[in-house]
Amino acid sequence: MDTRDQIKTALAALLLSAGFASPATAADGVYKIGISAGLTGYAATVDRAWRDGVQIAAEAVNARGGVLGRKLEVVVEDNRSEPQEAVTVYRKMISSDQVDIFISGCVSAGNFAAAPMVVKAEIPMMLCSILPQQPAQVKWAFSTLPPAGFEVEKRFEYLKEQTDIRKVGVLHDPTPYALLQKGVAEKVAAKYGIEVVAVEAYKQDDADLSVQLGKMQAAGAGAVLKIGLGGTTLTAAKNLKQLGSKMLLLTSLEDLAVFRPVAEVLGEQFFFVASPSQVYETLPEGALKTEIGKFLVPWRAKFADRDPNWASRGWDGVMLAVAAIEKGKSASGPAVRDAIEAITGWQGTTGTYDFGPEQHQGITKNPFVIATIAGGKIKIVK
Amino acid sequence: MTNSPATTSPDAGPPGLGSEAEGTPARSGLALVLGALPWLVAAGLVGAAGYLGGYLATIVAFALIYAVFVTGLNIFMGFTAQVSFGHNAFAAIGGYTSAVLTTTYEWPPLAAFAAGLAGSLALAGLIGWPTLRLKGHYLSMGTLAIGLIVYEIAVQWESVTQGYLGISGIPSLGIGRFEATGDRQILAVLTAIVLLGAFVVARMRRSRFGRALSAVAGSEEAARALGIDVARYKLASFLLSAGFASLAGTLFVHVVGYVSPEVFGLHMVILAFTMLYVGGLGTVVGPIIGALVISLLPETFRGFRDYQDLGYGAALILLLIYAPRGMAGLIDLAAGRKAS
Amino acid sequence: MAPDPHAPLLQVRGLTARYGHVRALEATDLTVDRGELVAILGPNGAGKSTLLRAILGLVANTGEVRSEGVVLPRADPVAVASAGIVLVPEGRGIFGPMTVAENLRLGAYRVRDRREVERRLARTFELFPRLSERLGQTAGSMSGGEQQMVAIGRALMADPKVLLLDEPSLGLAPRVTAEILETLRRLNQSGLSVVLVEQKAPLALELAVRVHLLSLGRTVAVISPDQVKSHDELARYYFA
Repeated sequence: MDTRDQIKTALAALLLSAGFASPATAADGVYKIGISAGLTGYAATVDRAWRDGVQIAAEAVNARGGVLGRKLEVVVEDNRSEPQEAVTVYRKMISSDQVDIFISGCVSAGNFAAAPMVVKAEIPMMLCSILPQQPAQVKWAFSTLPPAGFEVEKRFEYLKEQTDIRKVGVLHDPTPYALLQKGVAEKVAAKYGIEVVAVEAYKQDDADLSVQLGKMQAAGAGAVLKIGLGGTTLTAAKNLKQLGSKMLLLTSLEDLAVFRPVAEVLGEQFFFVASPSQVYETLPEGALKTEIGKFLVPWRAKFADRDPNWASRGWDGVMLAVAAIEKGKSASGPAVRDAIEAITGWQGTTGTYDFGPEQHQGITKNPFVIATIAGGKIKIVK
Repeated sequence: MTNSPATTSPDAGPPGLGSEAEGTPARSGLALVLGALPWLVAAGLVGAAGYLGGYLATIVAFALIYAVFVTGLNIFMGFTAQVSFGHNAFAAIGGYTSAVLTTTYEWPPLAAFAAGLAGSLALAGLIGWPTLRLKGHYLSMGTLAIGLIVYEIAVQWESVTQGYLGISGIPSLGIGRFEATGDRQILAVLTAIVLLGAFVVARMRRSRFGRALSAVAGSEEAARALGIDVARYKLASFLLSAGFASLAGTLFVHVVGYVSPEVFGLHMVILAFTMLYVGGLGTVVGPIIGALVISLLPETFRGFRDYQDLGYGAALILLLIYAPRGMAGLIDLAAGRKAS
Repeated sequence: MAPDPHAPLLQVRGLTARYGHVRALEATDLTVDRGELVAILGPNGAGKSTLLRAILGLVANTGEVRSEGVVLPRADPVAVASAGIVLVPEGRGIFGPMTVAENLRLGAYRVRDRREVERRLARTFELFPRLSERLGQTAGSMSGGEQQMVAIGRALMADPKVLLLDEPSLGLAPRVTAEILETLRRLNQSGLSVVLVEQKAPLALELAVRVHLLSLGRTVAVISPDQVKSHDELARYYFA
């Protein structure tokens, strides 16, 4: 390589870098939604569904003319499920794309890492994940996620009201959401007259859970509350079968596709927490079913029988933002933030949202049901 | 000092920062320009980031933090020709110590950094002392293990690290009343630290210590035959590089204000290796240019969307084919310095 | 134990070395006194290099190495080098990417006094004037003969009492070999003790006071150079 080539390379590098900072052309007439999502990495399944839900919602809003005369535009960046990458893509969407709101995915560490920057830019965040820890950051962040306790409480309710099982084991992975749920389980069990006789942890890539399950069996547990996503649910089911255990398996909210093979292994011993959109057909007529229907029509048109759970929350995120803009008659960051805080009794696809100054996690009434799969059909049992 | 021939030898002169090719006495003007080129490119990128701000500033800030990390790794892998897969452990100790002490216990950042450094050096000594005496891959295996173990501790020791939830609200970089908050201040502080690191390495390289490391890298047996205590130098090199890693960890948590275990995962090792080999193993400027290039490269392909990884991968392969000794090696080659 | 000025500079007794299960050197004795040049001759694989490496402690060994009567710790090359026993390894062992100056300075690595290092450098350049012109060149880019000069020069920078040379003629043209051996003669004449390992080296015989013949890891004979020359079969082997 000669000198001239070297200089050319250097110049090219400089020019490319200059391209980084040039802000997108004036965005008048467009309302930009930024999504930091783990399209690759551990959060990929959830966050891809979330993204698709957001996009479908944006298309639906645009089809009816947008919001305050502005069309919605969605900017998606892959954070690879890594916090450092999330900081980079958040920064890109703030300074280069100049997004108006973030409706970001479930990589909580990524949302936390970027939160100081988003707060500084006064951009509201509507998240799939749990809320950040710092009060100054919570001010700008809202979550569509139902409180961690709901999934656990629904399972306890079911056990209390429809079985005579009073001793349970809790099996959880080390993710923040699972840890929160575990904490709730230990705290509220007594309220349902139930005793947690064993708490065991596992890792998402564990290939065998029989040790943990064996301990629970030995401790006299009649049911296992499994908290955490992925293939380990099937592993647990197989291990229970191998142990010849009669313990019930009650798992967390999950992609329905994961559950079918589990149901084949465990049959009537298997129950799961389901969100309303997953059991749409069996829901009674009403506001909730109507809302879900609005979402499911375009969703099924595009994705057929793909699980709608996470996508439906992404849809809710967009619709909440639109409701806030229309309510406050302004799309500015601070106005939208204030307007979201004032939303109460708002019917979404996941449940009813009630926000408030001290209430940034909108779902306050337990929307979940306990379901089982019998003869290949999903059935609500509670 | 006597005016023996050696005092006029080029390596006895004061080491400069751009001293990659200073070993040649008859150094042509072209070589001088080429030697300065990577420094100019780096300065241009950092300057552009400071001037333009925004998203580029964030990427360059991360790149500079990685430059500190890779500069340290280069001492051990480049100058001493050893292998470590676990330097992320030291970054994690530095980062988490800083995060915990500055938030929960409200220590000033500098004191917290010192505590993290002490912790990293203690662990490096503990793992390095027994394994560096053994020949072969014991140390590499050992480092791989501590990388994974420290990660697990960061995940499991929730009462202190808060597990995957992470620690937020970490204060900005600061000493006394000064606090680096804006993009430009952060970039200026990081640039100063990177330059200081490069200066230390350039000095070290020309010192008795640095020559001993090169001898160990060249041939352990020949070094031993010269009376060089090989195990001791390997350990010293390991400790020094662990210190840089610890500093990088501290810088990261203060710049981002948040830390969680994934930050210091195995991907950090992979990224650092890529930066080191692309930049140029065993050179002073290599880690800096490598960190900048590898941080900016994927961003230039971001517009490709789903093909971003493909573009990045292809660019990486081309770099390794046309610059097998790294980008700094390319400059040496162009400057006509004879390769051995 | 304090050094005894009357004891031999280097005295090796019953040195045995193994590579794994292979015994490469068997109960070998060797004595080198002040100003002596001892040649070690023998075919490939006879254990000549192993003998030198065992003296340095670079291979696991049993036996005893004394310098001026003091027993040196086993398997501790740093201690052996500190005692002034310096090896120019087979294949020279120079550091190719480093410059000539850097290589030479590494020889005086244990000397912290900079002026002493400069003094030794000056002395090395007297012996090898060519090196003083090539200080900034990377050692790996030099010719074989020059590399050998760097290797010997580097060893001399340590100011050795005994210089151990492992096949310095390997891969060199006869004229260059002669040049190297001429330098060795001058060093030896100025009082330096030398152990010279060679496979076939008529010139070595001219310098040596004693010749150790090694075969299959054993010392088969310790004889004078004249005896080698007068012995038909040996003479044919070593001068052919």
